[in-house]
Amino acid sequence: MRSIGRTAYRIRKDWMLYLLILPAVVYFILFAYLPVVDGTNISFQDYRFVGESKYIGFQNYQTVFDTAGFWRVFRNTIILGFSNVVLTAFIPMFLAMMLNEVMFSPWKRFVQTILYLPHLFSWVVVGGIWIFILAPNGGIVNAIRGLFGADPVFFLVKENLARPLYIGINLWKQAGYVCILFLAAIAGINPELYEAAMIDGAGGFKRAMYITVPELLRTLKVVLLLNVMGALRIFDQIYVMRNEVVAPKVDVLMYYVYIRGLEQFDLGYAAAISVFIFAITLVITLTSRRLMKYHV
Amino acid sequence: MRSNQISTSLFSRRLFVIANNIILVVLVLSMLVPLINVLAVSFTTDLESFDRTIKLFPREPSTVGYKILFERVAILRPFLNNTIVTVAGTLLHVFFTSMAGYVLTKQRFIGKALLVLMVTLPMMIPFQMIIIPVFVMMRRLGLMDTLYALILIDIVATFSILLMKNYFEGIPVSLAESALMDGAKEFTIFSRIYLPLALPGIATISIFQFVSRWNQFLPAVLFINSPTKYTLQIALRSLVVNQELTSTTQQVANNTRMAGIVISIIPLIFVYVFAQKYFIKGIMIGAIKE
Repeated sequence: MRSIGRTAYRIRKDWMLYLLILPAVVYFILFAYLPVVDGTNISFQDYRFVGESKYIGFQNYQTVFDTAGFWRVFRNTIILGFSNVVLTAFIPMFLAMMLNEVMFSPWKRFVQTILYLPHLFSWVVVGGIWIFILAPNGGIVNAIRGLFGADPVFFLVKENLARPLYIGINLWKQAGYVCILFLAAIAGINPELYEAAMIDGAGGFKRAMYITVPELLRTLKVVLLLNVMGALRIFDQIYVMRNEVVAPKVDVLMYYVYIRGLEQFDLGYAAAISVFIFAITLVITLTSRRLMKYHV
Repeated sequence: MRSNQISTSLFSRRLFVIANNIILVVLVLSMLVPLINVLAVSFTTDLESFDRTIKLFPREPSTVGYKILFERVAILRPFLNNTIVTVAGTLLHVFFTSMAGYVLTKQRFIGKALLVLMVTLPMMIPFQMIIIPVFVMMRRLGLMDTLYALILIDIVATFSILLMKNYFEGIPVSLAESALMDGAKEFTIFSRIYLPLALPGIATISIFQFVSRWNQFLPAVLFINSPTKYTLQIALRSLVVNQELTSTTQQVANNTRMAGIVISIIPLIFVYVFAQKYFIKGIMIGAIKE
């Protein structure tokens, strides 16, 4: 009895604290927790905005797994996602090591600043820039080819070029950002390690291989994890850059969810895919956390 | 013998330095040439913008691209909408997340563990995974096709709350205690003592919010239908994307399309130039937390 009274007193005394955190809590309930519950719920329904939504058990999931289109976009997501995870970790790492060898610091700062620039831009801007650069009329790539007498190529509607181009453009956008993480990690390496290696007569290449790379492994793990978490969420780039010709090679899960759910209003079906992606992301994230902890 | 060795190693070092810098120059050019190209084309005439030449400078400079952008494409409305959403969203975000971050620095109060869990767990739930139910929620709240929907989305984020908490924890408790002695109220302590001392944290959050809200795309695709409420990214998309393939829509020349890109990145470059140190700080904190 007395303790209830005391609890009530303490809650009343700290009312301001609860008030201050209230907006955050309400937001997360409305736009994180409830949607997770709702989403799972919708995935078991023949969901309608108007009229009654019937529960239909696992039928949506059944339909998802039976659709050829679903497995095609699943495959695309894995291919694009995996390439992005690997390339936007290792290449920025080498970039950072190269940049670290630059002695003239204004030049180094300049390179770093410029490399980071595309990360600031939206996918609409980056996609728009590349669509233009690669265009047959007015694009700079075809203009350069023209100097050598080559005919213009419409790069973005070449089916076999689509994935490499999308992966490359993603790298172009993200490399500078990831590079900054590695540069900071390099700056944190104990300089005595290098001095000792120099005295032992290790050349620049050996110092990079046996000191810098091992010292960067921790950062590499963090970057790989960040990339893995983002891998299945690719949406903006595809939404902006896709066209019907290359669609079979580049349409990804999130794009599929959007089209099926919010353009064709097959909400139950789309929700089932979302739940599935969410589950996979969780599994992949947890396993890669494990793997990296124990084996690197 | 020994001096011979040194001179070969010096030679290979020099070779490496040259190769290294050549690669870096190529990389920088791969970033700069497209951007210069975009800028140059935005100032060409309609005809020149379709030329198959390398354009790093317009042959006959012209602002016709910008004229069409503002007159026929009517980019001003989306630009203003974007500004409203970005400014309002960023201010409210800073306000709400610093309030929450402040509460989490408090030592003991009932339900703290639960509240900590409630504001950190959502980091595991990416927006992309819940677009269908969030869409349903926005309909329920009656916010579809309003700019409020875009301001509301991401109005708080775990990342910002934790960042503010870290900044607040660096402030000596004695300051708050002496204020308490003087009879100051909790909110006064927060707003008069803590907030001003956490300005670097606020700057970092604001800049990141500004950039991500300025570029906000998926929520606008989901929640906005009427052209009068289009944000910049939505308007820009229909302007720059794949017009060669959907030539049924009226043709807009390359100069207008590039002008659209130029005006949408100017605010970003402006922020980047003036706040570079906060960018790097924010990136580091973001990665370390993981």
